[in-house]
Amino acid sequence: MKTDDLIEALALGLEPARPARPAPLWLALAFLVAAAAVLATLGPRGDLGEAVTGANFWLKATYTAALSAAALWWLARLGRPGASARRPALALAAVVMVAAAAGAVELLRLPAELRLDDLLGWSWRECSLNILGSALIAAPMVWLSARRLAPTRPAMSGAALGAVSGGLAATAYGLHCPEATAAFVAVWYTLGVAAAAALGAAVGRVALRW
Amino acid sequence: MVEREAHLKRLMIGGLNGDAAAWRALLTELRGPLTVFFRQRMGGREADVEDLIQETLIAVHAKRATYDPALPFTAWAYAVARHKMIDAMRRQARRPTSPLEDAGEPAADHTVEDGAMRRDLARVLSLLPARQRRLIEDVRIGGFSMAEAAARNGLTEGAAKVSVHRGLKALMARMGAGS
Repeated sequence: MKTDDLIEALALGLEPARPARPAPLWLALAFLVAAAAVLATLGPRGDLGEAVTGANFWLKATYTAALSAAALWWLARLGRPGASARRPALALAAVVMVAAAAGAVELLRLPAELRLDDLLGWSWRECSLNILGSALIAAPMVWLSARRLAPTRPAMSGAALGAVSGGLAATAYGLHCPEATAAFVAVWYTLGVAAAAALGAAVGRVALRW
Repeated sequence: MVEREAHLKRLMIGGLNGDAAAWRALLTELRGPLTVFFRQRMGGREADVEDLIQETLIAVHAKRATYDPALPFTAWAYAVARHKMIDAMRRQARRPTSPLEDAGEPAADHTVEDGAMRRDLARVLSLLPARQRRLIEDVRIGGFSMAEAAARNGLTEGAAKVSVHRGLKALMARMGAGS
């Protein structure tokens, strides 16, 4: 085909285009499905009614929601050709650093013999894996939310997509998991989200082509 | 240079608002810079250069909603062009090649023209919505029956027939208008 003809064909059916951004409806659905999966398979924490009146529950939710928000900003910037994604990546790192610092301060203030319990809680073995599993359930909808974007760095965009899924899944996991120490959340929750991001990077390398 | 950026950006914003004349002008004006861009990087393979230009124009069209008017237009356009080039190189690296001894006789029914035609066809079809495109590919290229193609794409046979008919008609209309 001649390039002139191609241009003519492209211009002919032109329709106005709304700006492309991650679709909020799909993201809301991703969270709801992850929450439903957590509640259906793992069940709500026994003291959920009481926990929502305390600060710890919401502090944990704030951390995982902040992770999701920073990752979402990262994903949106990566989806625009030619745009720099440095600031959202720094924001994501800053959120993790704040949680790590809070965890470290908490551990240092405790007597040495209590530190290990504080860090491992009673569910450290399954926490990250459960978050990764829930992230896998949320990921298809997060992917659908980002379909109109145009990622030019597929592996990094896959990592951002995985981090968004992981952040939403970790927030949903808070409905089940009663662990409340800063050190536990900073290590095991973050690890779950990081695993989702790593998997996302591997998949994104081949799946995010356009 | 600054003036050019402002000019192209105006056309881009016009295109985003549905102004077909601005869009035609923008795509036409991009050809020159894209030719220079790809020639510098593809080492003078003219056919590849023209292919890449067309692929980039299609990508500019398909992904135009990802342009943020707060950012420079040229940075966006070149990022799309670079992406298409990397994509093409990756595809080329993976394309299977057969050793010369196996070539024996030249395969008569596969000519260079044939390859060019196939590429054109893929390009034209890419203008259609995804499901309609798959239907037409299945029926006209894949050799499936209408019923099979309908089942593969989750449609009834009647709906598939109508969809294929409309898709071909839309393509004819577009190509007809272009020549």
